[in-house]
Parts: sequence; C-alpha cells; structure tokens
Amino acid sequence: MNISKAHFLLFYLTMTAAIASGLAIFSSATNITMLLQYAASGMFVPLLLALVTSFLLDPVVGSLEKRSIPRTRAIFTVFFCVTTLLFATASWVIPYAQNMWGSLLSDFPRYTEQFLNYVREAQSSWQARLPFLEHYDLSTAAQSNVKQMFSFLLVETPKSAFRLGSLMILVPIFSFFFLRDGNTFMRGLVALAPNRYFEMAHDLSFLISRQMATFVRGRIIEAVIVGAVITVGLHFTDIRYAPLLGLFAGITNLIPYVGPIIGMIPGILIAAVDLGLGGQFWWIVILYILIAQIILDNFILIPVLISRVANLHPLFVILAIVMGGKIYGVLGMIIGVPIASAIKIAFIEVRHYRRAFSLPETGTDRHA
Amino acid sequence: MDLLWSNIFRSNNDEESLVGFLERLPVFNELEKRDFKYLENMVHTRTYHAHETIFEKGDPGSGMYIIRSGKVLIFNRNIHDQEQEMAVLGSGELFGETALSSPAPRTFSARTAEATELIGMYRSDLLTTTSKHPAIACRILLGLAKLISDQSQRATIELTALQQRIIKQEQKQQPGTGSSQ
Repeated sequence: MNISKAHFLLFYLTMTAAIASGLAIFSSATNITMLLQYAASGMFVPLLLALVTSFLLDPVVGSLEKRSIPRTRAIFTVFFCVTTLLFATASWVIPYAQNMWGSLLSDFPRYTEQFLNYVREAQSSWQARLPFLEHYDLSTAAQSNVKQMFSFLLVETPKSAFRLGSLMILVPIFSFFFLRDGNTFMRGLVALAPNRYFEMAHDLSFLISRQMATFVRGRIIEAVIVGAVITVGLHFTDIRYAPLLGLFAGITNLIPYVGPIIGMIPGILIAAVDLGLGGQFWWIVILYILIAQIILDNFILIPVLISRVANLHPLFVILAIVMGGKIYGVLGMIIGVPIASAIKIAFIEVRHYRRAFSLPETGTDRHA
Repeated sequence: MDLLWSNIFRSNNDEESLVGFLERLPVFNELEKRDFKYLENMVHTRTYHAHETIFEKGDPGSGMYIIRSGKVLIFNRNIHDQEQEMAVLGSGELFGETALSSPAPRTFSARTAEATELIGMYRSDLLTTTSKHPAIACRILLGLAKLISDQSQRATIELTALQQRIIKQEQKQQPGTGSSQ
C-alpha cells in the first residue's frame, strides 16, 4: 500500500485537530469547574445549615400535616412560630450578650496573661528536669499564638456577624424548599437509577435518609442539652460568662472525643484565673467532666438519642477534624465529623441491606 | 387562536389518566376520591423495554408492581436452570404484593414480554404514609388485605380439592393392590 503525500497531510491535519480540540475541551472543562467552584464557594455553609434546620423541623411539620393541614401551610406555620420565638429570645438576650461580649473583650488580655504565666511556669519546671529542652521556647510560641487568636477574634467577629446576616436570609429560604420539595428532589434523583436497581436504590435512600435524620436530630438535641446543663451548673458558682461558656461547650460537643475537651478549656481557665483553685474551681471541673460528659452524655444522651452504630472510630474522628479544618477552617472542624458519620451511616445501611437478603452475590448460583 | 386556548387549558392528559387508571383498580376500592391525588405522588411509574428483567428470584423484595400497559412474564427456574412459565400478566394486574407488607426475598422471577409500563408501589413509601397520613395508609392496606385474603382463600379451596383428588386416587388404587395379594 502506498501512502501518498496527501494521505500523510490528511493524517497530520486530523491529528492536529484532534489534539487541539482535546486541549480546548480540557481547558474549558477546568475553567468551568473552577467557575462552578467559585460560584458555589459561599453556598456550602448555608446549604448545610438549611439541611440541618429542615431535619430538625421536619417532625414538627409532619405532626401538623397529620392533622390534615397542607404541607406548605404547615411549613409556613412552623416558620412563623420559630421566627417569633427567635425574635423574642433575641430581644431578651441581645443587650445582655452585648454587655457580656464587651466585658469579655476587655477581660481577654487578663486571661491570656494568666494562661501565659502558667505556660511559662510549666516551661521552667520542664527545663529544670529535662535540660535538653532548653532551646525549645514554648512560652514565646504560645504568646504569639494567643496574640493571633485575639486579633482574629477582634477582626472576625464583626465579619462573621455580617455573614450571619446573609445566613439569616438564605437559610430560611433554603430550608423552606428542602422541607417542601425535599421528597420530590429525592424521588427525581432515585428515578435516575436503572430499572434493575431502582427498587434497591429507592429502599436504600429511604433507610439512609431516615437514619441520617435521626442522627442529625439526636446530635443537635444532645448539644443543646449539654450546653444548657453546663450553663445552669455554672450559674451555681460565681464564674462570669456562664451562658457564653455553656454555648461554647454545647457547640464543641458536636465533635466527639476532642470537642468536649476543647469546650472545657476556656471554662476551666476562667475559673482558675478568677476564682483561684478553691472549691468552686473543683466543682466546675467536676461539672464539665463528670456531670456533663460522663453521666449526662455517655450514660443518658448518647444511648437514648444516637444509635451506637453511628459512633466513629477515634482515628476517623481525628482524620475528619484535620481534613475538615484544612478545607473550611474552624467550621470545617465542627462539620467534618458529622459528615464522616453520615458517610458511615450510608455504608452501614448498605451492608445491613445486603446481609438481610444475602444478595446480590447469589445471582450466579441461584440454581445451586 | 384556538390552538392557544386549547394549550392553556390543556390539562395534563397523561397524569389524569394515571389517576383514572388507579381509580379503576380493585385494590384501591377503599380509597376516597381525594386520596388518589396523594396516591399518584406515592407510586413510581417506570418504563421497561421488551424482555427486560424486573426482578429475579431471591432479590430483596420491597414492593409491588401494577401493570399499566404491556405484558409481564412470571416464571421460576428449575434445577436445570430451565425457565418454567407460571403466568403471563396483562394490564391492570399486579404482582409482588406480598413483599409490600413484609420484607422478604422474591419467590419468583419477572420479566417483561413486550414494552411495558409498570407502576411501582414500595414499602418505604407506605411506611411514610402510615406516619403522615394514617387514614390513607389504612385504606390502602385494607384493600391489600382483602386481595391477599382472597388469594389465600382461593389457594385453600384449590388445595382441598387437590387433596380430595389424591385421596380418591389412593382409594382407587388400594382395592386393586389388595386384590392382587
């Protein structure tokens, strides 16, 4: 077979065109994904919060719906009640909270100073015992860290307040539509499955979403109860900022294993600085560790609210916290673990399902 | 102009006929008129090609299918993996209803004989309905219970008839064997 020059030219041209179009498609694809990423960057948090809100409100809406109120009207009723409740609490709490925030900002240097003192003392005692650590200057590192944190607090608080404003608009809208059309979305998504797997996909989506809803609801209620108990317990002492500390403890309680420890650090620090190492200090320590964590959380709340299956291995918890922190900062640390648990729930449900029917491996030896 | 008006006031024909189709089914006799609007959103319409497997024996069963159009072949496989046809079902008939109330592996296989439109109704949706609209779920379950009890009654009658026949045959054979001894 003779390949003429024309053939060769044609081949050359085709290859060039193919490579060029491939490059163009590739670059436009990366451009488009980057564009999408940029467009969706601010939407992750409101969407997630809206999802959690809709999980929380769904039972209330359902109970209204049971009294044969149409779903949309039921959602509006619930939203109205929640908004009034929030406004009432806000108008009651905000002046108080503002006051507290102002005094906390002026007190903050005092607490950090004391904290640095503790660190310095600890360092000198280490260095006396372990001389080879002489060149490791922990107190300077701690000082710069604390300074950074303080400036971060000062700068980020107004910013996050501004962000909170946009959240207050977006979250209700999103959660309204999640509540109203969530089932339709899921139906549409499941309907994409091929006929042969539709039944399984439909069943699994039901089981997973039910399990997920219980898990999210349980976690939130658990955090609220722990926060409330710590607030009330701290009110028995002379410690300041009890509500703020309770709030902090409640939020950090969303992270298993690590969260409660982080949550009790500011409380114990403030107690040590303001109240000294007296009886009240030890009461606060007992409150944080024994009452809130061991008795309330481990013995009562977790067995009642959250099924044991959703407990993650500590290794995965640490991984989820580190990875979440890499992606979304402090917020990522808080939501990383619940997302990991959600993935685990999905896995567990799939495994349960397959075990219950010992399938689909039996397809090949069905005549055996 | 006429076309425009007819377009605006055109009711969605396909959906309307789905409600109409469901209303004509004897299983849903107990349901009230306005329940069908809910039922329509509870079931899933799926279209199948000809000779497409709907489910195999041993698959996890989680719902029943109603045939809206087309034909479905119900079969079992014997020891030599040969298919044994049990029934051919047509429009308006349903199969797999036992899996709706309790999770169990399918006891037979089903395959479409021609292009078929099936309406699937699944246990998970029924469970959601029992908590959200107990009255509707009650009526659906009542119809199902009636259907299944009818089936079991018919099976019992057939079974007794068969038993009688076996006894008669045995009686016929016994005098013969007795005389030979």
